Amino acid sequence: MIPRHFQITIGLVLLAILASGLVILRLTHQEEAKTLQAAETGSVSPVVMGKQERINLLLAYDEDKALRWRPAELFLPSERGLRAKEMLRAVLAQYVQNPSPHPLSQGADIRDVYFIGKDTLIVDTTAQFADGHPSGILLEEMTLASLIETVSVNVPGIAKVKFLVEGKERETLAGHADLMSFYQTAAVHEMAGEFE
Amino acid sequence: MKLAMLLCCTLAFSNAAPEQQLTVYSAQLTYSLPVLDRDGKTYISVTDLLSPLGATPPHVKGKEWRVQLNNSEIRLTEGREKAVLHNGPLDLGGKVLVEDNRLLMPAVAAAPVLNALLKTSVDFHQPSRRIFIGNTVTRFAASFKDGGRPSLTLNFSQPVKPNFSHDEAQGVLWTRTDRTMLVFEKDPLVADTNKQEFGNGPIQSLAFTEENGTASLTITGNARLDIVRSEDGKTIVLQPAAPAAMVSPANTPPGGAASEAQKRAQEFFVMIDPSHGGYDKGASFGGKLLEKEITLKLGRVLKKELDEREIPSRMLRDSDVDIPLDRRAEITNEQHAGLYIALHAGRPGRDVRVYAPLVSNPQPLVAGRFVPWESAQTAFQERSRLAALTIANELEKQGISVARLGVSLRPLNNVASPGVIVELSPEGDDVQSLESPKRQTGVAAAIASAVAQFRSQPGARQ
Repeated sequence: MIPRHFQITIGLVLLAILASGLVILRLTHQEEAKTLQAAETGSVSPVVMGKQERINLLLAYDEDKALRWRPAELFLPSERGLRAKEMLRAVLAQYVQNPSPHPLSQGADIRDVYFIGKDTLIVDTTAQFADGHPSGILLEEMTLASLIETVSVNVPGIAKVKFLVEGKERETLAGHADLMSFYQTAAVHEMAGEFE
Repeated sequence: MKLAMLLCCTLAFSNAAPEQQLTVYSAQLTYSLPVLDRDGKTYISVTDLLSPLGATPPHVKGKEWRVQLNNSEIRLTEGREKAVLHNGPLDLGGKVLVEDNRLLMPAVAAAPVLNALLKTSVDFHQPSRRIFIGNTVTRFAASFKDGGRPSLTLNFSQPVKPNFSHDEAQGVLWTRTDRTMLVFEKDPLVADTNKQEFGNGPIQSLAFTEENGTASLTITGNARLDIVRSEDGKTIVLQPAAPAAMVSPANTPPGGAASEAQKRAQEFFVMIDPSHGGYDKGASFGGKLLEKEITLKLGRVLKKELDEREIPSRMLRDSDVDIPLDRRAEITNEQHAGLYIALHAGRPGRDVRVYAPLVSNPQPLVAGRFVPWESAQTAFQERSRLAALTIANELEKQGISVARLGVSLRPLNNVASPGVIVELSPEGDDVQSLESPKRQTGVAAAIASAVAQFRSQPGARQ
């Protein structure tokens, strides 16, 4: 004969296990739902504090040799430079994932972004961005056009963009696209239009 | 008698062999130190070698000498053949000597000692006794232009200050003989090629030599040469002094040199630029096929197609050489090309892409003013677009899939003549199609037909 208090204790323990299982199951479903939603909207996890905003990124699609606008949910700070940096990082994040519409090597990222005056944006990239970039006029131009056009459309007032690699100037991205010049966003807009 | 003795002394002095020396080139300074012969071996003073680089004065204890440089110490002991460094013993290739309170070591040990103390790469050209610390080298490219008044342009990667055997007046230098020697005592000049030949005219050859701690360029020919050095010290141009003395009568073409030069300047020709070359391999296809090889092959096929249509053309490179982007534009501009065509190869595949220039920051042209280098293409954009359209149409006529785009790319934007870029891409995943003679000939034939049409349009030089 099992004592009554022992029966009650076992019953409570079983009840607690059942409740815990239900909670864990629900949390798992919630996480899966979040992941799916993020994948669908191209959401990028916040790196810096900011408000979640929906913006358009201009992405390169090698298969079609085209640039296309795609919506994305990003956490964007209020400061212009930080906003620009997050947008550029979001574009590159799309390229380094697998599968990618425009594959770039892992580690391709933005180190820093800052303004010279009000209208000139300097974009400092990681070494992997240039070292691992596939070589070819079209591929290199599509990368730069997608970055410049995304940032110039979403951050008003940018007239010129200049790229650095690990804080230094480099002749070309991967043998073709010029990294020595300051890109005029108006000219890039014209060029990007031909790819859209 | 006294006069004869004085003359003999003067001759003896002037003919005396130059002092034997070793030269060290570093990013901060260049210096030379004397070398001494001891029992058939070349020796140098340790202090002479290390002091200019910031080494401490030697600390002497008995037979042992200690010198510190760059937070490292070297210990040398008189009579021993090994030095002691932070990372262990170092073979010096001969005994350490002490003479007149000076510490001497074999010259061959200079490079390993510097390498160990400075912890950087050191390149020692032993026969010429020249030591290069780090990447301190100056390279040069020679460009020979034939014609009415031939010229040899030397472009250096860093400013240089050679000594000439010359008289100097108002920045223009000239030589007095048919042999011009530029001696680079302080410049870390190196060469990829030791000799280049240019024919039998006023400028016949260029030779690079290095000995006794200096480098020299010797230009031979059959005329006195003017030497013009650019303000930034990075370019030296050598030309025959005067048209009358330029070409020997036997070599003078009918009609005279001046008319030949004028004819050449007015002649329409296509400058074919097979992109990349040398160390610049461009894109790689499947790890074996390189863009620089594809563009060179395509360039040669295009030249053949143009020749068949009697359209003059010149290859910007016809071998595996690396020509900097700016230099490609300079050569094209110096020779006044009628049309510049840069050839590339790249993914993604299936079509041929024809790019017209998009000058990012076009500058309004003002008569008599210099044109900014970045936007030298501005005045030619319209004709470049026309050339791109003509080429694209002709490719389509041949059944070749084509895309026409705009691009802001060097050196196209620095070219002061109509210019286009043609990028060949593989047929799908078949990268071998890039060097298929059938595909290359098809594309080249279409381009050549388009050039023939472009040349016949108003505005093109005939």
